[in-house]
Amino acid sequence: MLVLVADFEVARREFPVRLAVQAEAGERLAILGPSGAGKTTCLEAMAGLLPLSAGRISLEGRQLSRAAEPGSDVRAGHRGVGLLRQRPGLFPHLTVLENICYPPGASPARARQTASRMGLDGLLDVRPRGLSGGEAQRVALCRTLQTDARLLCLDEPFSSLDSALGIELLELVRRELVEVSAVLVTHQLGEAQAFADRVIVLARGQVLQVAGPRELVLRPNSARVAEMVGYRGFLRCGSQVLAIHPERVHALGRQDGAGGISARVVKVRPEGGRVDAEVEAEGEWIGRFHCRFDEAPELGSTLLFGAPDAPQFSGAEALLD
Amino acid sequence: MRGSGIRASTGAALLGALIVWVALLGPLIALLAHLTPGAVVSALRQPGAFQPLVVSVLASLIALAVILLLGTPLAYLLARGRLPFPRLWEVGVILPLLTPPLVIGLLLIFMVGPNTAIGVALGHLNLSASDTFLALVVAEVYEAVPYYVLGAAAAFAGVEPELEEAATLLGDGRWRTWRRVTVPLAAPGLATALAITWARAMGAFGAVLIIAYHPFGLPMQIWVTLQETGLSSALPFALVLLLVALPLPVAAYLWSARARRRL
Repeated sequence: MLVLVADFEVARREFPVRLAVQAEAGERLAILGPSGAGKTTCLEAMAGLLPLSAGRISLEGRQLSRAAEPGSDVRAGHRGVGLLRQRPGLFPHLTVLENICYPPGASPARARQTASRMGLDGLLDVRPRGLSGGEAQRVALCRTLQTDARLLCLDEPFSSLDSALGIELLELVRRELVEVSAVLVTHQLGEAQAFADRVIVLARGQVLQVAGPRELVLRPNSARVAEMVGYRGFLRCGSQVLAIHPERVHALGRQDGAGGISARVVKVRPEGGRVDAEVEAEGEWIGRFHCRFDEAPELGSTLLFGAPDAPQFSGAEALLD
Repeated sequence: MRGSGIRASTGAALLGALIVWVALLGPLIALLAHLTPGAVVSALRQPGAFQPLVVSVLASLIALAVILLLGTPLAYLLARGRLPFPRLWEVGVILPLLTPPLVIGLLLIFMVGPNTAIGVALGHLNLSASDTFLALVVAEVYEAVPYYVLGAAAAFAGVEPELEEAATLLGDGRWRTWRRVTVPLAAPGLATALAITWARAMGAFGAVLIIAYHPFGLPMQIWVTLQETGLSSALPFALVLLLVALPLPVAAYLWSARARRRL
């Protein structure tokens, strides 16, 4: 069942931000893009903090915002949309439990249950300044869950934490959200992949691609998206440009042959019990591969590499990006 | 060598601080040194001796209420930068602070005196803002309001807008956010601003002298007693003024410092 139907534009000074997306109950989406792409703007529009310049947003059949009728917008906090930001925004004059019970109508018993599931039992009487970054975000999440939000917007909430803790907290969010849809904004592909069922790639206010986390890396639809999901080498093949992902190349051998990419070894260094080598082709750094000490290539030597299913883009399109 | 140099400079700084502290408390020490309990009792036993105290406290309480009511929204809007031409508003607030109180009194005559539009309008209500209790309140408001607005604006500016936004997103309306987040977080600063304002209102003299000579409040009582019977007769009233005006600011300051540490 479709829960979120959003097709809107928000006017900004630099460029308008446009988003068209639908989500089913319990579906997790991620908006991936560089800083300034308009990711946070999308979430703020959904949360009711920004007016739309075009389009509309509805949640569970209820119209939240409609550019044609700005006066009818449901105000922030009453839309069934929760927003969790990078700064947890805990109230410093209240204890953890008082923070969690802050939303009007929140039940202390239910708040304690949620807090317990999130491992906050021993912190309920503590004030926020005594919390670590991860604990503060867990409290903020717990507090947002007391609002009975039907859509949870996550604005890079864990980006200031170390990445392992960030991924752990995203898994916690996934566990806690039952039948609640969520949209995560992030500039880290790993976070988007760990969290989302579908990833929306956004750049300069435009959606470039919507795809599953695996499909996005295997089949980026443009050189720009390929670059954003980690492709580093862009090699000319006639009128086409071949995109090489550094973690998807493998050495074929030292001899010339058809079907491989001829590349020069530009760096060789020991890495634990193996050798780490980096290679360039046509002046483009295309990747890194590992081999045993006794198979280590010589610096400057030319090897053949395979890059199976490397996506190709028209040269003009790739240069345009 | 280096350690002894640091010790010497720390000692000099401490000595300097002590001199300033003693100098600031000097007038208070002098007042207590020159007063005997008998003189205080005798002065306060005179008929009507407490009348100026009652007038001052009542006028200052009303002035404080007016300032709180009108100054708080202005301070909040200034702090959040939601006023057009904010510098112009700030100048308006600071001007009474920079203007000598005597001049404020003179200018108030031209604003609310009996022959002005406001004076005539007040006259229709059987009120007057010249040599009346109302005039005393008006003078106190003008002398004290900048202290509150500037202090309260600083207190509100210290409340992170993100916290107000968080409250909104959790379902609070504006008034509820204000009550549950903004005011509690700004409270230490607001208490300090209010305490200073109270002290300024209680001690208002320059503008009062011009437009509210009567009824006598405590500062005017001190002035008149000094003129008529000399310094020793005025000192007991000075002590009363200090005893009434200072406890609230001192208590507010101590509470505010404690509340800040807890946040």
